[in-house]
Amino acid sequence: MPTLKEQFWDPVAGFGVTFRTMFKKVVTEQYPFEKKPTAPRFHGRHQLNRWPDGLEKCIGCELCAWACPADAIYVEGASNTEDERYSPGERYGRVYQINYLRCILCGLCIEACPTRALTMTNEYELADDNRADLIYEKQDLLAPLLPGMEQPPHAMLLGDDEGDYYRGSFRPAKNESEA
Amino acid sequence: MTDTLTPVLSDNWDAERSWTLDSYADGGGYDALKTALGMEPGALIDLVKDSGLRGRGGAGFPTGMKWGFIPQDNPNPKYLVVNADESEPGTCKDIPLMMASPHTLVEGVIISAYAIRANHAFIYVRGEVLHVIRRLQRAVQEAYLAGHLGKDIHGSGYDLELVVHAGAGAYICGEETALLDSLEGRRGQPRLRPPFPAVAGLYASPTVINNVESIASVPSIVRNGASWFGSMGTEKSKGMTLYSLSGHVTRPGQYEAPLGITLRQLLDLAGGVREGHELKFWTPGGSSTPILTAEHLDVPLDYEGVGAAGSMLGTKALQVFDETTCVVRAVLRWTEFYKHESCGKCTPCREGTWWLVQTLARLEKGQGTEADLETLLDQCDNILGRSFCALGDGATSPITSSIQYFRDEYVAHFEHGGCPFDPAKSTLFAPAGAHA
Amino acid sequence: MTVTSKEGQEVAKADLVTLTIDGVEVSVPKGTLVIRAAEQIGVQIPRFCDHPLLAPVGACRQCLVEVALPGPDGEPRTMMGPPGRVKPQASCTLTASEGMVVNTQISSPIADKAQQGVMEALLINHPLDCPVCDKGGECPLQNQAMSNGRGETRFVETKRTFPKPINISAQVLLDRERCVLCARCTRFSEQIAGDPFIALIERGALQQVGIYEKEPFESYFSGNTIQICPVGALTSAAYRFRARPFDLVSTPSVAEHDACGSAIRVDHRRGKVVRRLSGEDPAVNEEWITDKDRFGFTYARQDDRLTHPMVRDEETGELRTASWPEAFVVAARGLQAAGATGVLTGGRLTLEDAYAYSKFARVALGTNDVDFRARAHSAEEEAFLASTVAGTGLGVTFEDLEKVGTVVLAGLEPEDEAGTLFLRLRKAARKGLKVVSIAPFTSRGLAKMHGTLIRTAPGDEAAALEALAHDGEVALDAGGILLIGERLAAVPGALSAAAALAGTTGARLAWVPRRAGDRGAVDAGLLPSLLPGGRPVDDAAARVDLGTVWGTTVGHEPGRDAAGIVAAAIAGEIGGLVVGGVDPDDTADPAATRAAIGAASFVVSLELRATDVTQAADVVLPVAAAAEKAGTFVTWEGRQRPFGKVLVESHALPDLRVLAGIADELGTPLGFKTVEAARAELSELGGWDGDRVAAPTVSTGSTTRESSTTDGDGLRLATWKQMIDDASMLDGDDYLRATGRAAVALVSAGTLAGLGVEAGANVTVTGPGGSATLPVGVADLADGVVWLPAGSDGINVNRDLGATAGATVSVEGGAA
Repeated sequence: MPTLKEQFWDPVAGFGVTFRTMFKKVVTEQYPFEKKPTAPRFHGRHQLNRWPDGLEKCIGCELCAWACPADAIYVEGASNTEDERYSPGERYGRVYQINYLRCILCGLCIEACPTRALTMTNEYELADDNRADLIYEKQDLLAPLLPGMEQPPHAMLLGDDEGDYYRGSFRPAKNESEA
Repeated sequence: MTDTLTPVLSDNWDAERSWTLDSYADGGGYDALKTALGMEPGALIDLVKDSGLRGRGGAGFPTGMKWGFIPQDNPNPKYLVVNADESEPGTCKDIPLMMASPHTLVEGVIISAYAIRANHAFIYVRGEVLHVIRRLQRAVQEAYLAGHLGKDIHGSGYDLELVVHAGAGAYICGEETALLDSLEGRRGQPRLRPPFPAVAGLYASPTVINNVESIASVPSIVRNGASWFGSMGTEKSKGMTLYSLSGHVTRPGQYEAPLGITLRQLLDLAGGVREGHELKFWTPGGSSTPILTAEHLDVPLDYEGVGAAGSMLGTKALQVFDETTCVVRAVLRWTEFYKHESCGKCTPCREGTWWLVQTLARLEKGQGTEADLETLLDQCDNILGRSFCALGDGATSPITSSIQYFRDEYVAHFEHGGCPFDPAKSTLFAPAGAHA
Repeated sequence: MTVTSKEGQEVAKADLVTLTIDGVEVSVPKGTLVIRAAEQIGVQIPRFCDHPLLAPVGACRQCLVEVALPGPDGEPRTMMGPPGRVKPQASCTLTASEGMVVNTQISSPIADKAQQGVMEALLINHPLDCPVCDKGGECPLQNQAMSNGRGETRFVETKRTFPKPINISAQVLLDRERCVLCARCTRFSEQIAGDPFIALIERGALQQVGIYEKEPFESYFSGNTIQICPVGALTSAAYRFRARPFDLVSTPSVAEHDACGSAIRVDHRRGKVVRRLSGEDPAVNEEWITDKDRFGFTYARQDDRLTHPMVRDEETGELRTASWPEAFVVAARGLQAAGATGVLTGGRLTLEDAYAYSKFARVALGTNDVDFRARAHSAEEEAFLASTVAGTGLGVTFEDLEKVGTVVLAGLEPEDEAGTLFLRLRKAARKGLKVVSIAPFTSRGLAKMHGTLIRTAPGDEAAALEALAHDGEVALDAGGILLIGERLAAVPGALSAAAALAGTTGARLAWVPRRAGDRGAVDAGLLPSLLPGGRPVDDAAARVDLGTVWGTTVGHEPGRDAAGIVAAAIAGEIGGLVVGGVDPDDTADPAATRAAIGAASFVVSLELRATDVTQAADVVLPVAAAAEKAGTFVTWEGRQRPFGKVLVESHALPDLRVLAGIADELGTPLGFKTVEAARAELSELGGWDGDRVAAPTVSTGSTTRESSTTDGDGLRLATWKQMIDDASMLDGDDYLRATGRAAVALVSAGTLAGLGVEAGANVTVTGPGGSATLPVGVADLADGVVWLPAGSDGINVNRDLGATAGATVSVEGGAA
């Protein structure tokens, strides 16, 4: 024969957590309806940065591809010419692909980058319904043109040679924003 | 016998038009040539060996022994090359000699070439001294006309052609193998040894290369004998030589004295350090030899004595600096010279001198710390004995020796935030009695 | 690196010296440099200027080691100087001596510090360029800075800078900032190639590699300087920024451009060859290759590359894409219907492919009408090849050239036609070999070999060879070598005279063809009278010997040669043609070859790229390029140079697989479908030890031709192909083409005076088939002879002039 406690209290007691929680603030995130900001140094989608005049920082050196443990990056370099210049100096990245099916977002690539061309954004929505679209091309990765930037190819606008760019001894751009 | 001047080479410098053949012949010139042509070449080599004459170009290698290295069974022609590319900072003995008495050298060349059985001799003169080249060319022309040069000299059956060749302005061409390259029409850069020039020198043939002063000393030895020559100087450094005093001296110039004289004696002869000042440091043999200070005034200036004092006799170019001189500044100027003159063949000298200049320039401006001094010394350590030829070694000498003796002065630059000296005061046009 | 030669292993004990390196005793041959002696015990002393094939220079000072030599008492004394200091010695210039004690960076702190000091000095003016430098990742400076350098720089001052790369030729770029001034490139150019167009200029830290602006670095061997550059100072325009070392898959292979069989390394990235380097083979090319071998590889990926089989559509008459099975069937039916069929191949086939053609012709087509000689040829040549060359195996070798006293060249310009051979001849000539050349003039190559010219007008070579037997100055004997070029085929009697000369003097004879596949084609029996392995067609025993392997009988009548096949096709005696890689313009009569292809009722073309032949063909079958298949090239020495497939992803079929497909449809299978199987059958077949054809004894043409004089007003034409010219295998390699030598007609000074124009002015050369205009120059030719490059600057002598070497042409000043 169950006791009174067993008969009346215990069934209710089982809902204790439920009732208590009803009056607490919910932890459920309403993603994708509500998006929360990530930690500032969250490793998200990559970005290829630009100099303040719009020239690309990437020199096509492939060190990111070399560093990548997942073999997710493919780069081909090419020569800048006087008529067609994409980056300061001799070399630029003609082809730049990151395969987000392989990328583990470890960030070794951005550590390897000698010009700070490659950094990571906080964007994490890297999903798609087909494989081809998850290979991001250079145009997908390049930082947007900010005010004062000009779409390459164009001549070096901030200094006389690449040394001025690398040493940071360039003339101030119209809009001094760190890409 | 080390207390007086012994003018032999410079004996006729004050004669009327001393550079002409007539003047030279009046003083007994070319008599030694006649004596020599009457001797066996081998006997001449022995004579020079017995005299104890050592190379006056800096290294002090026994001249007779050098001649003895020429393989006489080699089928190739033999060559005598006189190194008259005098460009060491502070050195001014060969050029005055050739200017005042070129025939002394020409006579020496003929006797020396005869001794090593060479039928072709070259005098490689520094290209910048055009007036000397002209005098030398005229002297050679006179010698040809007088029958001292050319075919069958004075009926001896001996032929000699003498060519005066002007260099193109490179200090490195004073290095004997670079000189040979230059003489052959290439860029002057030192050659790999072995083979040594005595075996494969000019045009891959046996070649003797001697300094002007060494060759010019030969006629006097032939004339006066080996024992006369040996009676001068010290036990291992025999004979007389030209000391060139320059810098803060009352009467700068060439002083011919027996080897082993001291700077104190020479300064007495030269009227001392310029008035109102005292000796601070000096080089015994040009800028490539470690500097010495007032404490070394009594060091006998012969090969052994200077070596024992931690330096080298070198070219006996005594550059004297008084207390108004900033040693850092002086060393920087020298180092700039070496950087400019490095031929570029080997890494330590080419890159090392480039770096030394930049470091020293920074230190002179007072932008440095004592740690930089250690770096500087280590840079020198990485050049000294690591470079292809002695140019790199010479470049480090003023730096290491100046830090050895004047480390405080380097430190003073850092503390002062710049050079504590007034450069104007070290100039010769500074008012007398000025003090640092 | 090439270090130990065979001589090194054969030295007697007495010629060894024993020294101690890092406490390890090692015995090396006398004269060995300390740096190499150290390699023997596995100690790698860092170095930049040192190169085993170049004379020591001791410039970089990176290889400093501490050395002690035994004194009079036998105790080792460390080499000192300046006073009181150990003086480390450059191990790359120091020869090992008995009792020497060497302490390298491993056991001597002094040597280690000296090396670190030199490395630091090298790096102070070296730019931090590694991320954009082509050498990054395979750079001796990077590697040795890691192994023998300081971790951190102490240099905080200003680096020396130069403007970024300058072209020292169209192909070679120089970045002076990166240069460590080791002088490897200048020494290579002077000592090995003999093209001292680059030299060190200026002095001190501003010293740099320089050129004389009016004479850029136009050498056939300039690419080697890029490979031996220990930093990224020299780069090639073709490979610049194309890839990083870790992208590349490297495969050893064999160069396909000439008959030297140079070892190469092919680097490819994602199915595309991006660069080729010299391989190391002391017996063949040492460490050097020609620029053509190095840079000539983009021909295989031009836009006109054939990718699919094509058949001529019966309704439209146009070529349309077809499947392989369909193409095989169409080809087989067409050939069956065409009746008698001839087989023409070029000289670019591998041994296995050539063997497949040979067997295809005999077994599947039942004919001996097969010839690989898409060039001037003769029956005399065929007899010469059958008697002296085919199936003879390894004869005269590259190394032999260094051991003999005299080499006579006839009808051969090694610098243009066999670059690797030229380098070896030049190396030997620098050591005393006497080179004698029977040629129209002293070419640049001959001058670089310090050779002697026997000035011979084209057509007179036979007489010159005959005269050589009695030449007291050349005095060819058993210690001599006779190198015969394929061009002698066009001179009646020349090959007979060469064979006779070799017979009477005892000199050894070698035939040096121009193309990589020529010697293999001879061995594989791609000749109308010759079966594989040198078996004569008309020798019953040879046919039986072959039949035991092939399991069939072959025709006993020698077939038609290439000219015969062409003539027969025009005459309608032959209905079908199988053409594999023949450029009609290479043949002696381009018009006739084109006419034959047009006249034949059915043409099967096996080709890489679209050509005149494929346009006219009824079935076009695309085949694999050299990098897309395995194979074997046979060098002029007779040395087999097998190589594997480089682009393993490629599905292109080699010729032999295509031929096997047609043969299957014809109902006569070849018995192999892979390179390996063909190789196995070739080795099963073996050589022929039976009777050989006798050497030809054609009387010299000089009896019928007046020696060295002009026929009427005309000039005698001398011509050959320059190394870098309009060849289709250089298509796409524009930087390389730009380094080629410009087309210049050369005449003697006397002849030029007769023309009334100055050297450098244009002249028009007119032959039977047309004319060409090009600048004229002077060389030491005989009067009445004009030399033209056979295919440079858009001028093809065969096609445009309708003339071959020895023909009479007229030359006039001015443009046509």
